[in-house]
Amino acid sequence: MSIAAANGAPARAGTVDRRLRIAIGVLCLIGIGVAGYLVYVHYAKIKIICGANGGCETVQSSVYSKLDGVPVAVLGLAGYIGILFSLAIRNELGRVAGFGIALVGFLFSMYLTYREAFTIHAYCYWCLSSATLMTLLVVLTGIRVLRAEPIERTPKTVPRAERRRVERRQAARR
Amino acid sequence: MVGGTVLGAIIVVVVLVLVSSGGTKKETGLQTGTTANSTIAGINQLLGGIPQSGNVLGNPKAPVTMTYYGDYECPVCQAFTLQGGFSQLVSNDVRSGKVKVEYRSFCTATCGSPDPGVFNTQQVAGLAAGKQNLFWQYTELFYHEQGQEDSGYVTPAYLNGLARQIPNLDYATWQTDRNDPNLTAQVSNDQASARQIGVSGTPTLIFSGPKGQAAASQAVPTYAQLEQVIKQVT
Repeated sequence: MSIAAANGAPARAGTVDRRLRIAIGVLCLIGIGVAGYLVYVHYAKIKIICGANGGCETVQSSVYSKLDGVPVAVLGLAGYIGILFSLAIRNELGRVAGFGIALVGFLFSMYLTYREAFTIHAYCYWCLSSATLMTLLVVLTGIRVLRAEPIERTPKTVPRAERRRVERRQAARR
Repeated sequence: MVGGTVLGAIIVVVVLVLVSSGGTKKETGLQTGTTANSTIAGINQLLGGIPQSGNVLGNPKAPVTMTYYGDYECPVCQAFTLQGGFSQLVSNDVRSGKVKVEYRSFCTATCGSPDPGVFNTQQVAGLAAGKQNLFWQYTELFYHEQGQEDSGYVTPAYLNGLARQIPNLDYATWQTDRNDPNLTAQVSNDQASARQIGVSGTPTLIFSGPKGQAAASQAVPTYAQLEQVIKQVT
């Protein structure tokens, strides 16, 4: 196997990681838009754009729309920004941090959706959109964490080992 | 490292859920002392001089009726009654005799709480005050002093505490009236009529007037939005 061939796997892994990072970044930007709008509606005290059933107002006026006085939309916004920033950290810490934030966001979104269905008896489409985004983000950030090994190790270890093997073979021929 | 992250995330979410649902504390909003006096003074100022009959507030001959389907434990009903357009509607249209308000019971938040069985008891407590034409004082007080949802705050002590704050209420008669089977039947009938017309949440506000019926589409309508619906039926 040549050095170039040995570098093929990490190159493919790098491409996949780049695509994952782009997808995560796009989802985060959409999430920032959704959560940002809910934060704006809350503090500007304007009517939320919603479907005909008015479920968004019901949910936004419920006790579950705040967490100890802080609108949950603010927490969502912070979560999306946090995941976006984690993409800038190009090591395992960044990947795990992004996954951790997405997992918290996903689990808490599931809890809030449960409350919408069984306690508030109304659905907010903005909140459901955010829950869907968090679900996609936890999957994509999870894949990034699980795929971390080949991206991290191949460029450093395999080429070097391969280089030594080639050097040993060349020395033996001489 | 991944296992630790998952465990850490679960711990964070458990803490968030506990904070969100108020934990296991029974956070009653029952007021005492000067705060309670101030609240009842405000309620009396809003309702004073407006005729009441049972669950109806306003002139019985008012051309427009707003049927208000509500649940005492519903935080959105609280938002509408205290921060929405309700107070202004009472001050203007109900006081002037243009609109009357009829409250009907529909279980939403209470039925999603750990103790849905208390719904009948709490709604009957209001209707029992209505037998002394103080239904709306009791209802306003409940919303002003509503506790943390799902915390089980609606206890006999809480319901009695609200009644004791109403200056003109004959407490002993109120206690007797709470056992009136007609009031329990009224709550059941309210729920049945609500289901029949497709009510699915609270507050549901239906206006009836000379030109027909219309419902407010917002969960917490402002006074301006209520006025628009009133125009549709008059």
